Amino acid sequence: MQSKNAHSSSFRDPSGYIFTDNNKIKRLINPIYFNQYNALTTSGFFDNLIKNRLLIGHNEVSKTDDEIIIEPEQIPFITYPYEWSFNMYKEAALLTLKLQKYSLEHGFSLKDASAFNVTFHKGKAVFIDTLSFDFYIEDSPWRAYKQFITHFIGPLLLARFHGAQQLKLMSNFIDGIPVKMISSMLPFKTKLNPLLYSNIHLLAKLEDKHNEDYKGEAKIASLSKKGQLNIIESLYDYIKKLELKEQSEWGNYYDKINYTDEAFIKKSVIINSWINAIKPKKIVDIGGNDGTFVRRIDFEIKNALVCDIDNNAVDYNYKTMKLNKEQFMLPFVLDVLNPSASIGLNNKERDSFLNRIKDFAPDITLALAVIHHMSLSGNVPFRNSAQFFSTFSQYLIIEFPKRNDSWVQRLLKSKGEFENHFSFYSIENFEIAYSEFFTITEKTPIVDSDRVMYLLKVKP
Amino acid sequence: MYFLYFDPGLGAMIIQAIIAAVAGFILFSKNVMYKIKLLIGIAKKDKDDVFDDIEIKDSDVENKN
Repeated sequence: MQSKNAHSSSFRDPSGYIFTDNNKIKRLINPIYFNQYNALTTSGFFDNLIKNRLLIGHNEVSKTDDEIIIEPEQIPFITYPYEWSFNMYKEAALLTLKLQKYSLEHGFSLKDASAFNVTFHKGKAVFIDTLSFDFYIEDSPWRAYKQFITHFIGPLLLARFHGAQQLKLMSNFIDGIPVKMISSMLPFKTKLNPLLYSNIHLLAKLEDKHNEDYKGEAKIASLSKKGQLNIIESLYDYIKKLELKEQSEWGNYYDKINYTDEAFIKKSVIINSWINAIKPKKIVDIGGNDGTFVRRIDFEIKNALVCDIDNNAVDYNYKTMKLNKEQFMLPFVLDVLNPSASIGLNNKERDSFLNRIKDFAPDITLALAVIHHMSLSGNVPFRNSAQFFSTFSQYLIIEFPKRNDSWVQRLLKSKGEFENHFSFYSIENFEIAYSEFFTITEKTPIVDSDRVMYLLKVKP
Repeated sequence: MYFLYFDPGLGAMIIQAIIAAVAGFILFSKNVMYKIKLLIGIAKKDKDDVFDDIEIKDSDVENKN
């Protein structure tokens, strides 16, 4: 039935699929979903969600008896659940519940509640699976309830009790973390909480019990709309208040940094002068912490991706973005030494970071205070990091802390007797290795520090 | 009509009635507690300013967030 070149992630739902046409994402709707689509359109349901920027907008391109084609608003860079910080994950979960409540009140219901139906765009979580809404059948339970638990509550609770790193589990459990596993990993005290006991532990027990009912002998219970709304509202209240245990040191990141305020300002002056010369539309800041340097750029950038390995820093960036109502900023969690891989069916369902960043094609990559971590903590030779940075953008602004920089010294000291193995770490070797892939366009030392800023251009 | 393209989990379908009852109780008691706190003047205003309410407005005014 998929005559168009369907996107490799779009094969589950028979209602339709997305495909790429002239580098644009489009969505084909099959006749099986025409009734729903028409009802959602004519009732103003779609319109209102789109106006509130909770659902991605779309235009109808064509309509025949066999297919309807819509073109959704294009999203420059898709982030996946395993790349969200804790509060981003919370927003996605709350959005899903909000949509289910609104659906129920208007005679519809979400037929699935996958975390991959949500992404971040223009400063907020947005639902991107337009065909997820179906007619509500009176007194039927929520079919997507279990999916909501395994995709949202599970990861959030594990993060709450075991740290934000747990959110990365979603890259292994692409269809949600098994309920039994969630239940087994939660501390005993969660059994004393009625909401967690019923939604996690009891659910795990019952799922186990009915696991072998292949004949479908058990009766599907009915559930009033009011009952379902109770579940949704209680989960909403709970998630809204959920916080990480480790959340302590937000802010003050730059207090720990080893150079004086003046050097900090000088650094951003250098960045600004180069950025104003190149006039980029899109940039990516690798190891961008809480987005401080991107916010100091005095040139209007359309899209800025800021990634960091530290969930807390990304979360702080996200909160700042929310409070400032910024639309150009997209924070996400990324380990540069192990960027998100391509996963899922045929290893194509969820795209790798490298493929996505190549498609995004940033004009400039910023790599500030990151090379010493890659080289000294990650043992990545200069040539390998140069090659990595040369694959997705034309320009690279990179900061090189010299050997006598205090951070570098600290990292070297931690190597103990192996310190001599890192004798390659020098500015000369850095320039030689990077010159293989880049031309050095500018080179400016930051005064009052042992750091040098480079503007590099990829060799053709 | 529902398309059964993923397994909703039989246990999860049956259990929702129980969870709904628990949820109803939680919401009810929360409401009662709030009213008591309001009465004795210790009700706190929600200080979380990043996430908004569950309600979606039906008007055509754009949401502030």
